[in-house]
Amino acid sequence: MSIKKITNFDTSLKILISITIFVLAILGLLLGRQFFSINNFQSMGYQIPEFGFLALAMAVTMLSGGIDLSVVANANLSGILAAFILTKHISLLKDYSDITIIILATMTALFIASVGGIINGLLISKLSVPPILATLGTMTFFNGISMAITSGEGVVGFPELFLNAGNSTIINIPIIFVIFIIAVFIVGFILERTSSGLSIYLYGENRIAALFAGLENEKLVIKIYFLSGLLAGFASMIMISRVNSAKIGYGDTYLLQAILVAVLGGIAPEGGRGKILGVVLGIFILQALQSAFTLFAFTPYAKKLIWGSMLLLVMVINFLLDKWRSRKYHAKLESLPQ
Amino acid sequence: MLKRLLSRNETYLIVIILIYSIIVGIKNPAFLSYENFFDMLRASSGKLLLALGVLIVLISGGIDVSFTAIAIFGGYASTKLMLLTKIDNLAFAFIISASIGIILGSINALIIHYFRLPTLIATLGTSSVFFGLMTILVGTKSINAGQMPSSITNFSGARLFERIAPSGNTYGLSAFIIPVILAIFITWFILYRTMLGRGIFAMGNSEESAKRSGFNLFLIRFFIYTYVGILAGIMGVVYVAEVRWVNPISLVGSELSIIAAVVIGGAKLTGGEGTILGAVLGIIIIQLLNSTLVFLGLSSSWNDFFVGLILLISVSITSYQYRLKSRRNLTFSD
Repeated sequence: MSIKKITNFDTSLKILISITIFVLAILGLLLGRQFFSINNFQSMGYQIPEFGFLALAMAVTMLSGGIDLSVVANANLSGILAAFILTKHISLLKDYSDITIIILATMTALFIASVGGIINGLLISKLSVPPILATLGTMTFFNGISMAITSGEGVVGFPELFLNAGNSTIINIPIIFVIFIIAVFIVGFILERTSSGLSIYLYGENRIAALFAGLENEKLVIKIYFLSGLLAGFASMIMISRVNSAKIGYGDTYLLQAILVAVLGGIAPEGGRGKILGVVLGIFILQALQSAFTLFAFTPYAKKLIWGSMLLLVMVINFLLDKWRSRKYHAKLESLPQ
Repeated sequence: MLKRLLSRNETYLIVIILIYSIIVGIKNPAFLSYENFFDMLRASSGKLLLALGVLIVLISGGIDVSFTAIAIFGGYASTKLMLLTKIDNLAFAFIISASIGIILGSINALIIHYFRLPTLIATLGTSSVFFGLMTILVGTKSINAGQMPSSITNFSGARLFERIAPSGNTYGLSAFIIPVILAIFITWFILYRTMLGRGIFAMGNSEESAKRSGFNLFLIRFFIYTYVGILAGIMGVVYVAEVRWVNPISLVGSELSIIAAVVIGGAKLTGGEGTILGAVLGIIIIQLLNSTLVFLGLSSSWNDFFVGLILLISVSITSYQYRLKSRRNLTFSD
């Protein structure tokens, strides 16, 4: 990596960090103690993992120049299937203890979500379906399965133990938040320290070049969408434990927010650029605003308006920054002695 | 001739529609009645209007997910304005709704053109913005059938001709078909008989080549997204008349099924391909599924399942054929 590239990365991260501090300062000024309280931070810690996992999943696919529109549908479907096990809908499970049931449900959710991701990967790599279309199709399909097996009704009645596990804390930090941070480190490690991770960047930057460089593009794509599915699986377990039920349509607003966070965090939608650290900062900014909006008692419609305008604004700013950078770069090239 | 027919996507769609209709007809003869046919035609009118807009965007190589937000904005705002100003005139509703469509569509066009944003993400953003603006500017209260302006109610029940079914019910061809036929004709004319239409296809195939052969990409894009806006605005009024009840939080969320229909009809997301007939057939398939699952003894909960399945199968087949073709020609572009 050249020195120039490192400084470049730093500027975008620097901007993001300044925005984070700025947002926190403004919120602190406006809301004071209400915002900067252990209670508020703890509730943020409960809320972040839910869409944080979905945002990570989205970020990984966008980094490869694709997109995964099916993340929320995938999480919903695996959540519903896990809920079927948790509520012992299947009579075979009647005799097992709660712990076995919870482990079984978690494994099922992660497995089904990964299968969903692999289906996306196979469609995109082996059949060359454009990512938008492939994931649009699986999104409709997964929602269709969820709808067909639940008829749109919620699955309720989880074991006490499962709810307690979701709400438990380690030294005041919610355990799901700890799991999320571990996941962030693992995904960050994969992307920045392994050859697969570097391949994702290369593939996202220029897939034809990646092909001629001898990368196994098809396997790589399957891996990317598998990871995205797996992360959606974690999101699904957290989601159902937090709302104590599974129902189609939960988390529909997360799709827009996941894309927003990825873009806000500096992932270029055309692929190849962006860091997980940026995405994590994006998640924190979004959650801080989310909590503030709740304290301000904004309606969900107003929130939708704000998220939408933020998405557009961030993209426009990124475009202008890019343009400014390339102009500076060209000016520098011209000033060099021939 | 036969070979040409077999190479076309539309032929397969027609065969599938016929076979499916026959199966449903055998299961339940009530399906194959004129009454049911006209009912389905009325119910799919709004979707057809939206599908034409989606088709043009897809041909140009973009994607738009904000059209349902535009449609409900137009339909809701124009109905509310009619009630407020007491101008009870259908043309007024269409003009207001279409104007809202033009304004919102041009916002899409400007954002996409000047900031080179990916169309999916840009319209996902504007969709939330339009919807949020509507709830703030117009409100969130439903308008029920009793409050509906009489011109809308009349339009809702208007039929071009009527017949009396053996059961004693009257049925007939709904007036909704008029805007649909007009829109189909205008879209066809623009796509196949004007330089603008050539430009849309050219842009979808390759933006760079279109630019170099002298097409003004800004004007083309501006036209495409405002045209989608107009169609969505008109659809908004048709939708309000169809359900005779406006719930401002309805409609948004159904955009994906329209896109699915157009894609099933053979339009490519990568641009440059797509036909009006295909889009119409795609909507027919979606509408058939919507209204016939009950005839087959399945609840309507299965709807998305089948739509998703058909969408996946059809995109897999077309993408795989394209992949084989590019392999043969050793082209490595997407």
